[in-house]
Amino acid sequence: MAKVTVSKLAKLFPPPIKGGDVVRAITNIDFEVDGNVFVSIVGPSGCGKSTLLNILSGVDTPTSGSVTVTEAGKPAKLGYVFQDARLLPWRSVMDNMMYVRDDASEESVANAAKYLSMVGLDHTHEMFPGQLSGGMQQRVGIARAFSVEPDLLLMDEPFSHLDAMTARSLRDHLQDLWSRTRKTVLFVTHDVMEAVQLSDRIIVLAPGGVIYDDISIDLPHPRKASDPKVATLQAEILGQFENMQIPAVE
Amino acid sequence: MAGVLVDSAEASALGTAAGLRRRRYLALVTGWVGFVAIWWLLSVWMDSDARLPSPGRVWDEVWIIFNGDPTNSRNDGGIFWNNFLASVIRVLLGFVVGVAMGTPLGFLMGRNRYWRAFLKSPVMIAGSIPGLTYAVMVLVVFGISFVGPVLAIGLISMPYIAINVAEGVGGVDKGLLNMSRSFGRSEKQMFRDVVVPSVLPFIFAGVRLSFSLAWKVGQLTEVFGASQGIGFQIRRNFQLFNMPAVIAWIGLFIIFMLVLERFVLVRIERKLFRWRQWEREG
Repeated sequence: MAKVTVSKLAKLFPPPIKGGDVVRAITNIDFEVDGNVFVSIVGPSGCGKSTLLNILSGVDTPTSGSVTVTEAGKPAKLGYVFQDARLLPWRSVMDNMMYVRDDASEESVANAAKYLSMVGLDHTHEMFPGQLSGGMQQRVGIARAFSVEPDLLLMDEPFSHLDAMTARSLRDHLQDLWSRTRKTVLFVTHDVMEAVQLSDRIIVLAPGGVIYDDISIDLPHPRKASDPKVATLQAEILGQFENMQIPAVE
Repeated sequence: MAGVLVDSAEASALGTAAGLRRRRYLALVTGWVGFVAIWWLLSVWMDSDARLPSPGRVWDEVWIIFNGDPTNSRNDGGIFWNNFLASVIRVLLGFVVGVAMGTPLGFLMGRNRYWRAFLKSPVMIAGSIPGLTYAVMVLVVFGISFVGPVLAIGLISMPYIAINVAEGVGGVDKGLLNMSRSFGRSEKQMFRDVVVPSVLPFIFAGVRLSFSLAWKVGQLTEVFGASQGIGFQIRRNFQLFNMPAVIAWIGLFIIFMLVLERFVLVRIERKLFRWRQWEREG
């Protein structure tokens, strides 16, 4: 049960061209996530979603403000799923799973195998990433992130590079995995439909990196994309976005 | 993908592939037979062992190089392995020197743009100096010695290794490094498991590129300043006007290079970079 506290967080980037304006990726945002919840961060391109995730994971630092990610008062353990699978192409699937683990005991191997099995990849242990389809590679990426048993799982548009059919099947895998493990998840996406189907809560960011809305979704898991309740909610939330001002040029 | 059954259309396509391979071998063999035939005809026409000895004469000389002279008029019995090993050891050692110098330079150039700016010109110049210059230079500095040729071979192969390694280090996937960081991997682990495997194919490309060059320079230094080795034997026999032996040594050298390239380097590469086979298809 990780606790994420973001307070007065801002991130500026230097001007992309000489003499231009600084880029305001995130502007003074505050929010808190507590407990075993699936939270989506939604917004159009360039509104600071990925920057926020990078700051949370420690890859990037904030310009001002603070973020803390704790587990029972101690720094939380993180897992990360990226847009692309980011597997080491020279290592087999199993060796990729082991790369992010600290020990290579039999127990550790069995644990990695358990997570591969949960995403339906029992038969791929000895295969190289190049032998797998894009969707299968991403499933390895998801299994890898879950297998380190993180307190907080950060996911950065993990299905955005996949075709619609594959993305749909992976969402089902993810829901299944999440229902079994109930990790705290921060899931970044630009796809509102996806966010509604997966999350308990949606934080909407607007361009400039400000919080536009914070929506709770109270529907039982797992949810099917075809469920009329999900579809109705998706339409309702999409309707709210029609008023959002999105600049044509960033 | 592994374990996929092939249908009949694909099977017949595979059959054609086998046929193509057979035809390719046939062309290869025809080429060699044709080459030897033309050589033989020319030697009959020129009718002079001192200018162009026949394939048969050269073959006799190869036999002598391996087994010694049956007439025992020359004390050349079985000199192949001594000279061959002398050359191989020199080239391999020189090559180790080249890799040992080129790899760290390449890492510096690939990782840091100041080092790159500083080292780029010297490395480029070192790479464009003709092999002959190195051969003469080390002879002047070291005289007839073991160190000279080894150093010359090291110097000629170093730039190719350095440039390739720099290319490889510059191209390490940042996404994989970020992934490693976000999973809390140490710098040491990242170097061993991400950087080195990324750079290895580039090092290998540099090795293959510079290896034949290293051999050529090795032979050249032996021609000038050695008392043993394939290059030395070519020069000695040239001075003795023993053309068949010159051609025999050159031929043995070429055969050795071909065997090394086709059967050793290609195999090591295939084994080491098994994973790349699928990367290319994907």
